[in-house]
Amino acid sequence: MPLLEDKVAIVTGAGRGIGRGVAKLMAAEGAKVVVCDLGVNVDGTGADISVAQQVVNEIGEEGGTAVACTESVATMDGGEKIVQTAVDNFGKLDIVVTVAGILRDRMVFNMSEEEWDDVIAVHLKGTFTVVKHASILFRQQRSGRIITFSSTSGLYGNSGQANYGAAKDGIAGFTRVCARDLGRYGVTANAISPSASTRMTTSVPDEARALRSARGIAAGGGLRGDAEDVAPMVTWLASDEAQHVNGHVFHVTGGLVTLLNEPEPVKTIQKDSRWTVDELAGVFPATIGIELYNPAPAPPPSA
Amino acid sequence: MPNNLEGKVAIVTGSGRGVGRGIAKLMAEEGAKVVVVDPGVNVDGTGFDQSIAEVVVGEIRDAGGTAVACTESVATMDGGERIVQSAIDNFGRLDIVVCCAGILRDRMVFNMTEQEWDDVIAVHLKGTFTVVKHACILFRQQRSGRVITFSSQSGLVGNSGQANYGAAKSGIAGFTKVVAKDMGRYGVTANSIAPRATTRMIGAIPESAAEIRARGGVATLSGEGGDDSQLQNLDPDGIAPFVAYLASDYAANINGQTFLVYGNTVSLMSQPRPEKAIWTESGHWEMDELSAQARGYLTAGIPNPAPAQQR
Repeated sequence: MPLLEDKVAIVTGAGRGIGRGVAKLMAAEGAKVVVCDLGVNVDGTGADISVAQQVVNEIGEEGGTAVACTESVATMDGGEKIVQTAVDNFGKLDIVVTVAGILRDRMVFNMSEEEWDDVIAVHLKGTFTVVKHASILFRQQRSGRIITFSSTSGLYGNSGQANYGAAKDGIAGFTRVCARDLGRYGVTANAISPSASTRMTTSVPDEARALRSARGIAAGGGLRGDAEDVAPMVTWLASDEAQHVNGHVFHVTGGLVTLLNEPEPVKTIQKDSRWTVDELAGVFPATIGIELYNPAPAPPPSA
Repeated sequence: MPNNLEGKVAIVTGSGRGVGRGIAKLMAEEGAKVVVVDPGVNVDGTGFDQSIAEVVVGEIRDAGGTAVACTESVATMDGGERIVQSAIDNFGRLDIVVCCAGILRDRMVFNMTEQEWDDVIAVHLKGTFTVVKHACILFRQQRSGRVITFSSQSGLVGNSGQANYGAAKSGIAGFTKVVAKDMGRYGVTANSIAPRATTRMIGAIPESAAEIRARGGVATLSGEGGDDSQLQNLDPDGIAPFVAYLASDYAANINGQTFLVYGNTVSLMSQPRPEKAIWTESGHWEMDELSAQARGYLTAGIPNPAPAQQR
């Protein structure tokens, strides 16, 4: 039996790249899929409704079932309409996968308000708008799967991506809370941190790319798989087999799937009264400060 | 009289009360000139009381320190710029920004309104960006500076009822790591603090959320089961010494880290790292192959923070 027989899934950002791979594999595994995509450019401009329809056509040609949806995830209204599309077309909703995202890279001291707002709106609020409305149904029906997209940019920090890193780490935090808000209702929420060559990763400005490589920082976490390689783990998390997996972050690239650790204290100093700055200056370097890694040390002053 | 911040100028947002107030006062005691930023709003972001910042400035001056009040909002780019300008106008320079400003609007995700989401993201996440961005323009030019932001265990671990706050606080951690990489080469450091303290904000967590957490056996801020008792009597002023240390010249090479700080305890938080991995030789998974390995190894025995409950 296919893994997602009789399930209904929403995949945002499914017109291209990773989302497209997820939509197609979920359909191949028996799910009815709402393919959401505005068909915008990587920077969020423009719109092309044929992008989502193209994926729906491909799914149809392979014997699967799908409908296109071109609502924006960036508004509450859009999020509600996306969820409604699943219910209107397929009578229910079991799975939401939120892949939709844009990029507007810029060093933090040059980043404009619009570059910040647009990226936060699509990634972070765009995850909330869909998940919130889905979770109303999921709670009532006492089942559901939420799979969001974080990034190594948020988890480790990529130069030039203050907006994207904030959004993507924010999504990881949001997902951990959803896991705790909804777990008792039989719902799971997990996040994927992918590395893959897509339209979005190739849009990283040359300047940022050069700066990163000059400082030995891998552009996307090193390994680079194909966009389609992310789909199997997402599809598995969406299946009944993954009922026990809740509140975790998985890094996926090519044929490698990694469970990431939960943030935890690794070194601790403590005393029985309040610290002074002078005391910390004496104790910190020899304790917590040992082998502390500086990801971007200042170069020595030039002569 | 300690003077580890002698000659430095610091901005502390949200310093009218709680954790921020303790930081502003200790930094002043250590010799910094401080811009005390607080519009004096309620925990939910409503209201306005500009005397809150003035009171802290008064306390600092009474203790022999130097400070000015600023009641601009961090939630707009304009406000962030004016806050930075306030440091320049009053003290001629800026060396340190500490972003404590925050509000709470707890609600289970399925009931959370757009306004509850937007307001919390605006003050915490954008409110960190607006101040840090404008400070970084100066920091880059002068090739020095300290950025200290406030994340939370709620974001790092996840607290039920705080989808907005958890997203914002985790987002701040990610933002700070990027700032560390953008600014490190200019001699600037950026680190974030995940504090635990008994403040007005903790008192605002709705009964229902606290109850639901306890009932569901969901880990709370303490991270160790449905019990908030560890939060009792954690003096907000206990956060300040480590923040002042990070702001000092001692900490010039501490960059891109997150620290858990409570009581008289300081912990370095782990960076994300692989715990377990599965892979396929071919580089591309077949569904049944992945399924077997994901079930049998990768997620076998994985902890579930909120297992399904019988109706």
